[in-house]
Amino acid sequence: MKRISIDPITRLEGHGKIDIFLDDQGDVANCYLQIPELRGFEKFCVGRPVEEMPNLTERICGVCPEAHHMAGTKALDAVFHVDPPPAAKKLRELFYSIFFATDHTTHFYALGGPDFVVGPDAPPAERNLIGVIHKVGMDVAGKVLKMRRDGHKLIKMMGGRAVHPNWGLPGGVSCGLDEAKRAEIEKLGRDAIEFAKFSLKLFADVVLANSQYVDLIKSDMYTHRPYNMGTVDANNHVNFYDGKIRVVGPDGKEKFKYDAKDYQQYVAERVEPWSYLKFPYLKKIGWKGFVDGPDSGVYRATPLSRLNAADGLATPLAQQEYVRFYDTLGGKPVQPTLATHWARLIELLYATENWVRLATDPEITSPEYRVLPTETPTEGVGCVEAPRGTLTHHYTTDERGLVTKVNLIVGTTNNNAPICMSVKKAAQGLIKKGEVREGLLNMVEMAFRAYDPCFGCATHSLPGQMPLEIRLRDPQGTVLQRLKQFVD
Amino acid sequence: MPVPRHPLLAADDAPGAAAAGASGSPPCARPSRTLVIGLGNPLVSDDSVGLRVARALQTRLAGRADIVVTEDYWGGLRLMEQMIGFDRAIVVDAICTGAPPGTIHHLTPEALATQRSASAHDVNLPTALAFGRQAGAHLPADRDVVLVGIEAQDVVNFGEQCTPAVAAVIPRAVDEVVRLLESFLGGLPR
Repeated sequence: MKRISIDPITRLEGHGKIDIFLDDQGDVANCYLQIPELRGFEKFCVGRPVEEMPNLTERICGVCPEAHHMAGTKALDAVFHVDPPPAAKKLRELFYSIFFATDHTTHFYALGGPDFVVGPDAPPAERNLIGVIHKVGMDVAGKVLKMRRDGHKLIKMMGGRAVHPNWGLPGGVSCGLDEAKRAEIEKLGRDAIEFAKFSLKLFADVVLANSQYVDLIKSDMYTHRPYNMGTVDANNHVNFYDGKIRVVGPDGKEKFKYDAKDYQQYVAERVEPWSYLKFPYLKKIGWKGFVDGPDSGVYRATPLSRLNAADGLATPLAQQEYVRFYDTLGGKPVQPTLATHWARLIELLYATENWVRLATDPEITSPEYRVLPTETPTEGVGCVEAPRGTLTHHYTTDERGLVTKVNLIVGTTNNNAPICMSVKKAAQGLIKKGEVREGLLNMVEMAFRAYDPCFGCATHSLPGQMPLEIRLRDPQGTVLQRLKQFVD
Repeated sequence: MPVPRHPLLAADDAPGAAAAGASGSPPCARPSRTLVIGLGNPLVSDDSVGLRVARALQTRLAGRADIVVTEDYWGGLRLMEQMIGFDRAIVVDAICTGAPPGTIHHLTPEALATQRSASAHDVNLPTALAFGRQAGAHLPADRDVVLVGIEAQDVVNFGEQCTPAVAAVIPRAVDEVVRLLESFLGGLPR
C-alpha cells in the first residue's frame, strides 16, 4: 500500500495533513485528515471569572477572534440572565457584519479564489493572491487591501482594540457610536457594497462564464448530500448574529428548528480513534458512518449550507444573487461543495448591505447600549454563525460566576465529517492507477479548501489526549497499518 | 474601556496600524521609520515569547520617535499591513526547528517561517509584501525585514508562562533586537 501525504495543506491554518492510502492497484483506498492539537483550554478557563471568556476565547484562534468574542458575549447574556437593549443588539450585529465582510474577502482572494481565477492545475507558485492580481488586474490589489483595512479599522473603532475586541459585556456592549463614527461606518459600508458587487462580477466573469468551471463545480466528484445547518431570523432569512438554528434535509425541507440553548438535544459528537477532532452529527438522525443521505446524521454548516437552510436573504442585492444562484445550479438545495465559494461571495454582499442597513438605523447611536445584570450567574449558551459554520459557546459557573465547565463547538468542527468525505471522494475521482500529479493533488485539496476550515481552534475544545499512533483499517475493521503522528 | 485582567492581553492596540495611512489610498512614505513587532499568542506558553520581548523593548526604546514597538498575533496579510509606512521591520516570534529551546535564530522572510510569520490561512510574508507593494503601499524592502526567531519548547499547551529555557533568553533576545537596531540606526540606549 502506498501513502501520499499533502503536508502542510497549502493556504490553510493549522498545518493539517491529509494521508491518502492507495490499494495495490493504485486506486484510493482511504483518506485520513490529521490536525495538530492545542491542549488544555478548558482547564485554562476553569476557575476564572466568566466575564473574561469573550476576551479569552477570542485568543484561541487567530483567524476569527471576533466570532468567538461575539459567541462568548452572547453566552454571558445567558449566564447572567440578561437581555441586552435593542441598540446593543444592533451594534453587535453591525460589528459582526463588518467582521464577516472582511473575513470572507480574505478567503475568496487569498484562499479559495486562486483555484478558479488562476486555474486549478496552475503551478502552485502562481496559484495564490499574486496570481489572482496578475490574472485580473493590478487594481484588484488596492481594492482588496482597502476592504481589509477598512474592516479592521472599524472593528478597532467599535470593538475597542484591533482584532481582539474587549467590547462585549453581559447585557450589552461597553461603548456606543456617536454620529461622526456612524457616518464613517456608513461611508465605508457603501464602499464595501461596491467591492462585494465587484467580487461577484469577477466570479461571474471568470468562473460562471467558463463552462468547464461550472461543470467542475457541479460534478459528482465534488458533491455530497448531507443535511444543511444555518441560523435564520423570524422570516427564515440568513442571520449571522442571532436567530434559531434551522436544519434542512437532503431534500431541502426543514427537519429541525431550535433555539441555540437546546443544541445538545440536536447535536452529538462522535469520537474516532484516528482523529483528535470530534465529529458532530444530528443526534435525532444518528451516526451511520461517513455517508450522506437522509438516514445519516452528517450535516454541513458552511456558507453554502446557510443558504440552503434559509428561505432567502434579507437584503435586496444579496437576495437577487440568491435567486440567481439557485436558478443557475438547479434549485434547492445546492449540494456541490465547490459552490460554497459562490455562496461565500453572496454572503459577502449580504454582510455589506446589512452593514449599511444597521449603520443607518436611527437607533444605532442610542446611548441605551447596556443593561446591568442583576441575577446570579448559572449557565448559558451563546451561538453565532462564524464564517466557517455555526459557533456555539456553552459556559457553566458557580454562584460567584467562576467558570466550572466550558464546551465549544466551533465552525469547522461541524464540518469535520463532510470534509473527510469530500476529500476522499475527490481523491477517488481524481487519482486512478497510481497517477498522481501536482494538479491532481491540488484538486483534492480544493474539496477541503471550500470549507475554509480552520483547525487552529477546532481542536482547542477537546479535553482528550493526543494519540500516539493512528490505526488504519479496512472496511471489515482489520488494522492495515499503524502510523505515528506526523510521520515523515 | 475595561482593563483586561490578563497582563498580556492589553497591548494589541497596535500603533503600527495607526501609522499605516488613510484607508483606501497608498500611505505616504515616512523616512527612517522602523517597526519592531512581537508576534504570538499570550495564552499559549512559549508562543508568547515574541510578545514578551516586545514588552521589554517598549520600555527600553521609550522616547525613540523613529521606532515603533508593537505586538500582533498573526502573519501573512495582517503582518504586511502592520508594516505599511515603515522602512524597516524586525519581527520577533517563536520558532520550532528542533534546535535547543532558547536558541535565537536570525532569518529572512524567504527563509523558514516562524510560528506566526507565515499564515497558512492567507499567504506567506513574501507574497503578502509583494501584494502590498502592488497595491501601492509603502513597505520595507525584503532585505530590510529581519525575523528574530526564538526556539520554543512548548507551543501546544495553554499556559501563562514560557518554559524556563525560553524565559531565560528573553533578556538576550531583547539585546539582540537592540543590536540589530543599532546596526540599522545607531545610537540606541543600552
